[in-house]
Amino acid sequence: MAIPTLFFSGVLLYLVAWNIYLSFLNWSLVSRIPKFVGFGTYSYLLHQYFFKIGAMHSAIFSLGLIAIGNPLGIFLAGILYFLPNKFRTLMVSIFLYPLAISMATNGLIWTWLFNLHLGVDYALRLIHLPTIPWLTTPTTTIGALFLVEIWAYTGLAVLFYLASFMGVDKSIIEAARIDKAGGFKILFKILIPNSMNGFIVSTALLFLFSFRLFSLPYVIGGGPTNLNLMTLVTYLYYLFYSEFFSASAATSVIVTVVATAVIIPYALYGIKRWIRRE
Amino acid sequence: MNSRLIKYIILEIIAIIIAIFWLIPLYSMLINGFKTNFEATATPVLFPPKVFTISSYITVWGEMKRPLINSIIIAIPVAFISTIFGEMAAYFFYVTSERMPAVSNTGFSIISLATFIPYQATLLPLIELEASWGLFNSYQGLIFALLIFYMPTAALLMSIFIPVIPKYLIEAARIDKASDWTVFWKVVFPLTIPGFLATMIFVFIESWNNFFMPLVLTSSPSLRLIPVAERAFTGGYGTLYNDSYAAAVIASIVPLVVFIILGRYFIKGLAALGGGAKGV
Amino acid sequence: MVKVKVKDLTKIFKKGKNIVVANDKISLEVDDGATFGILGESGGGKTTLLRQIAGLEIPTDGYIYFDEKVVSAPNKIIVEPENRNISLVFQNWALYPNMTIYDNIAFPLKNIKMPKSEIDKRVTEISETLNIKQVLKHYPREVSGGQMQRAALARALVKNPKLLLLDEPFSNLDAQIRDSARALVRKIQKELSLTTIIVSHDPADIFSIAEDAGVIVRGKFVQIGNVSELYNNPISETVSKLLGDINTVEGEVKEKAIVIGNLAIPFDKKIDLTEVKVGIRPEDMRISQAEIIKNYVNIGKVKVKVSSYSAGIFKLIVSPISDESIEFSVNSETHIRSGIEAFLFIRPEKMKLFDSNGNRIM
Ligand SMILES: Nc1ncnc2c1ncn2[C@@H]1O[C@H](COP(=O)(O)OP(=O)(O)OP(=O)(O)O)[C@@H](O)[C@H]1O
Ligand SMILES: [Mg+2]
Repeated sequence: MAIPTLFFSGVLLYLVAWNIYLSFLNWSLVSRIPKFVGFGTYSYLLHQYFFKIGAMHSAIFSLGLIAIGNPLGIFLAGILYFLPNKFRTLMVSIFLYPLAISMATNGLIWTWLFNLHLGVDYALRLIHLPTIPWLTTPTTTIGALFLVEIWAYTGLAVLFYLASFMGVDKSIIEAARIDKAGGFKILFKILIPNSMNGFIVSTALLFLFSFRLFSLPYVIGGGPTNLNLMTLVTYLYYLFYSEFFSASAATSVIVTVVATAVIIPYALYGIKRWIRRE
Repeated sequence: MNSRLIKYIILEIIAIIIAIFWLIPLYSMLINGFKTNFEATATPVLFPPKVFTISSYITVWGEMKRPLINSIIIAIPVAFISTIFGEMAAYFFYVTSERMPAVSNTGFSIISLATFIPYQATLLPLIELEASWGLFNSYQGLIFALLIFYMPTAALLMSIFIPVIPKYLIEAARIDKASDWTVFWKVVFPLTIPGFLATMIFVFIESWNNFFMPLVLTSSPSLRLIPVAERAFTGGYGTLYNDSYAAAVIASIVPLVVFIILGRYFIKGLAALGGGAKGV
Repeated sequence: MVKVKVKDLTKIFKKGKNIVVANDKISLEVDDGATFGILGESGGGKTTLLRQIAGLEIPTDGYIYFDEKVVSAPNKIIVEPENRNISLVFQNWALYPNMTIYDNIAFPLKNIKMPKSEIDKRVTEISETLNIKQVLKHYPREVSGGQMQRAALARALVKNPKLLLLDEPFSNLDAQIRDSARALVRKIQKELSLTTIIVSHDPADIFSIAEDAGVIVRGKFVQIGNVSELYNNPISETVSKLLGDINTVEGEVKEKAIVIGNLAIPFDKKIDLTEVKVGIRPEDMRISQAEIIKNYVNIGKVKVKVSSYSAGIFKLIVSPISDESIEFSVNSETHIRSGIEAFLFIRPEKMKLFDSNGNRIM
């Protein structure tokens, strides 16, 4: 019964293996007949400027999201925890709706909002706040994408922290109330310390979703070649279309290895806890 | 008024303010498509139109119709096939999880890998494979590529939903000599319908919204899917058109309506990525 | 300490179309320093009543007073639980899993910003009294059930509450340590003359701790009184069962006797019924080969069906020789093998009669 799934999973593993094989060649536009070069392509990559900034941006976008998404998720979940059920459900839906829309569309909408004349800057001018040159300088371009990322993915952190908070035995919260603990105390001394699971899940997912960002930098950056927004994933796409095939494969392998290093421990943690209920 | 009530009200106000910020992009997408092209390029994005018009929708509709149909042709079978077979695999992992922990650990790791891997990283071998099998630039090729990632995703989500069935029910059925096939259709499937719907809706929305696969696996305009078609309506970097807003609305209307009507299933599906998140 | 008064308290839960009347016009008074037990079957509404007294649940109707001051009113909590000066020991003890036993006990004191040295003194003191000093550095998951229960009690007592509320505090304990835990609670309650309300479905908890008790059946108090009064004079079959083991067997009212199979209980009062339920507790019955026992009446021959032993007494199940389907549970000081026939004796003044609806008629 598991055969179809195993088949498609097998295809995936095959693709990954093929990538590894291709990454050891020097196949590209200029060498049409590929030769085995060992780690040659990798060492070539490490000296590429684009690769370095791609890696840097990938790190910024994923670690940055973890650094901001977690506390923001805790903050919002902490507020929602104390509010009535119906209201809480509505709010969670609002924080999650960006995930129901294509990231390509989200990127598009935000590009308009980043318009210097008519976008959010217009509103900022209206209330006499300093405006931000969004997509016109390198730093603010990164900041802009970062903002969109937070908007798009923080809902995940809210969802998982809220779930962890709600999983804390109700009588423990009531005991804390009777012990005269206020809302902040309950949040910081009881809810958060007992929400390790929420932390692991949201950190892992925020990382994995941000590490594979493609549509947002592609759309907001106006294509895969915008240096300010180039990540490892857009870089491998760029390498592919400029026919540096082995370099693209090597970048893919690096991306896969980094992601796998997070996915496998997460899967093992998950199967123990959620499926075997150990 | 007591102080507790005041605290509640303050918290609600904070939550509502943040939620309003969260809704700004949706709001601006919805209002700007109803502007005339002149108004769209001359009035602030955050201001509603002075004159309501659907002219941009009419312009865009002609070119979005085909991609819309294409997306339906792709996303519905992907969601359905993924979920059915994914659930079967999840059932297999569930019944083997105690007898053969190594098998289920490996299986679960692989489906997690397929779910979370940056799928863009398979670009080169995927295109080679599709080209050599004659799947490149076809409906089947798109469906095939999406199934590589979404069938394991469905198996992962169903692995979270299936354990709500007590093991003894399955064991009782097996002691009664029911085949795996019978146990699956008579016991497992009926008891996991909410999880099945959650998974199917999640996979549907994800495959509908997938931008990368149709971008790289199709070349002919007649095969365009909606997220790719929509991008054709932007005049590159930062240019504002009323048409692009309308295209964005048409591209998102299906997942948005599904989200509004069946959002709790989608959220359940998302939650399953992290172990279920009951009670939210 | 505090005097608690509850007046016409009603709590209705609505879940979709389901409406549950968990508490129905409940009134009670617990004097300053007194102990009150709430007894009832599962789902009867005991916990709901206790939670309303704690302020964790908003009454649908009715009032709660602490020392004549209204603390809860219809649809309104007037004094929040944190300001009621109460302690509540939960059924699952609700220890904070992320804190050591020490920090658990110290938590309520830290919240009122007590100086560290004073906290330390109090925690040490209470943990000595409750004999948990050696586990203060451990986390709740690392200590035994009895220690957790005492830690929960320590956390409840350390802040000198005015009212102690206990919700089935012993039900998660092993039988062997339950008795000593009960004795400890009773001792401390007496020393501090702490107003205490305890909820349980186990009459042993109520007997060992409470002076007065109320019996809740489907949300209503059906009887309130001194615990031995409740035990000896229950108003109904249900109440009699909630307070302890009792045999209730149908009997036919004949002239001068109530007949149960071949057994006949002398009875010469006039009643209109032809069928009654006879209620008699195991300890008010004896079984013997002899034909006469002082203060007891011989009601006929029975056969021992099952013979078992628990907590120092032999428990027998006997049936009238004429009818195996009727069973009495009887206590015995000596072991009697099953299959043996003997005479069954009862203390007639302890016998209770109920009508077919379970209402007490005598
Ligand atoms: N929060 C709630 N929402 C809905 N119904 C509730 C709630 N709390 C209690 N009930 C219902 O009210 C009734 C009384 O419950 P309660 O917990 O007070 O009973 P109890 O006497 O303490 O039972 P137990 O001995 O099992 O603890 C039950 O029918 C229960 O299902
Ligand atoms: Mg209870």
